Amino acid sequence: MTDTTELITIPGNWNFDYTYFAGEAASRFFAALKDSQQIMGARCPSCQRVLVPARSFCDACFKRTADWVPVGPEGTLETFTIITAAFPGLPKPPIVMAYVTLDGADTALVNMVNGLDLSDIGAAAAQLQRQPRVRAKFIDEPQGRITDLSFVLI
Amino acid sequence: MKSRMAVVGVGQTSYKRAHTELSSADMIWEAAEKALDDAGMDISAVDAIVMGVAPDALAGENGVEKTAIFGAGKPYVRVNTGGVTGSSAAFAGASYVGSGRAKVSLVISLERMGQATTSQQVFNTIFDPVYEKDFPLTTITMAALRASMLMRVYGYSERDWAEIASRNYRNALKNPLAHIHKDLSPEDILASPLLAWPIHRFEACPMSEGACALVIAGESSVGDRVPAWLQGMASTSDAYAMGDRFHRPEGTLVDLLSLRRSAERAYADAGITDARKDIDVVELYSPFSSAEAMAYPALGFCAPEHGPRFVQEQFTDLSLPSFNPSGGPQAANPVSATAMVRIAEAALQVRGMAGERQVPGVRRAVATGQGGATQFSTVCVLGIERPD
Repeated sequence: MTDTTELITIPGNWNFDYTYFAGEAASRFFAALKDSQQIMGARCPSCQRVLVPARSFCDACFKRTADWVPVGPEGTLETFTIITAAFPGLPKPPIVMAYVTLDGADTALVNMVNGLDLSDIGAAAAQLQRQPRVRAKFIDEPQGRITDLSFVLI
Repeated sequence: MKSRMAVVGVGQTSYKRAHTELSSADMIWEAAEKALDDAGMDISAVDAIVMGVAPDALAGENGVEKTAIFGAGKPYVRVNTGGVTGSSAAFAGASYVGSGRAKVSLVISLERMGQATTSQQVFNTIFDPVYEKDFPLTTITMAALRASMLMRVYGYSERDWAEIASRNYRNALKNPLAHIHKDLSPEDILASPLLAWPIHRFEACPMSEGACALVIAGESSVGDRVPAWLQGMASTSDAYAMGDRFHRPEGTLVDLLSLRRSAERAYADAGITDARKDIDVVELYSPFSSAEAMAYPALGFCAPEHGPRFVQEQFTDLSLPSFNPSGGPQAANPVSATAMVRIAEAALQVRGMAGERQVPGVRRAVATGQGGATQFSTVCVLGIERPD
């Protein structure tokens, strides 16, 4: 290659559509959200943990889950982040995402936390570090998706 | 380790936002050529090739490595285990040698993310499409969720994150291959824009491109080459869901169970009984300061609750190992290659070939790798002494 060679760039774009198959366990979990605004966990017959969101198997025990039990709608915030920068394709900041252990569950569920005063990020962070109690709040017309709910502080 | 083998060749491109002068195949070629040159070997000496590339979408090319097949006619495997891809590829290459199916393996990892205009949108697609993809889960927010928990549970401060990052950037000033060459103080890092509380822009790893390659040789092929003996290698998986790791007694989300178990097994093979004394250099897979902090107790350097104190200790106690003399992933994070770069840098330190970033008198170095939400972790121990 000589010093005068112009380096070529070629434009590209990936924009494919997909249909994701949720499987039976998640389908049942989503149906409960839509039909009765209930959050369901699935219990592992070996370790007895109630897994939320519900799954068809426990990956720690290599056992299929058996019993289904409702959990929440209240719970405890475990950890969080306050997203303050905008990224292409992601929701507009500031927004709060957190893991919450719903009452009766042995695992934590990730979702958004709404209704917080985010005018002072440091103060909001300090409030969330105290592991506040939260409640799952459903949208007016649930669609049978994980976005049917979000968390609000009690 | 059941059979003796060593890293006898290391090849790296530089790491930067985009290698606009190189095609994907050119990058692989450059790293492989340098590793073979370092080993004083021709491609004909190589019996197996393992390639590591993580998500194709970062490059916008499926099988981005396929155009660089060389030495056609040899066994060939591609590995993808997310962030740990580079060390998984190295471990696969070592398995070829350890099992006797190859005398010499060439392992290469490539990151071509310079072709992407944004990475965080691509990183969102690594999460579960059923329960998680609708949320702004990315590599940055995944780290932030853990950083805030570390602050709550163990008392780390934003200042700790900034001091770790500053140390890494300043180390990278001595590494000509690093992507970021900025003398950033802890104050500079705290003053940079907040991305996702508690993570500031200059704490987050950059988007880097580059390729790394290693030549792994069985004992009979080492000859008079300068070896970094592979004294211990262990790879451990963990549950996928981060939410499943909050309440288990064996370790929470911030206790890095997969890294701890890898360390226990690799140290046992290598004969390490006291990590603080038996290790001279640690190259950590730490794209964020919180990842480095989580590694301290997992690697046996301190009790989890003493982590914040250890941040200060490792600055002042010169008997402790040197952490990330290369600058680590905060100064260059070619995702698919990052975990292999850790092994490469550890091998260079053991072989006394790390240039200006060389730590004097290195007898043993440890390299870590982590992928997914630390769903996969590796620990690799390299040393000057041939294993028994």
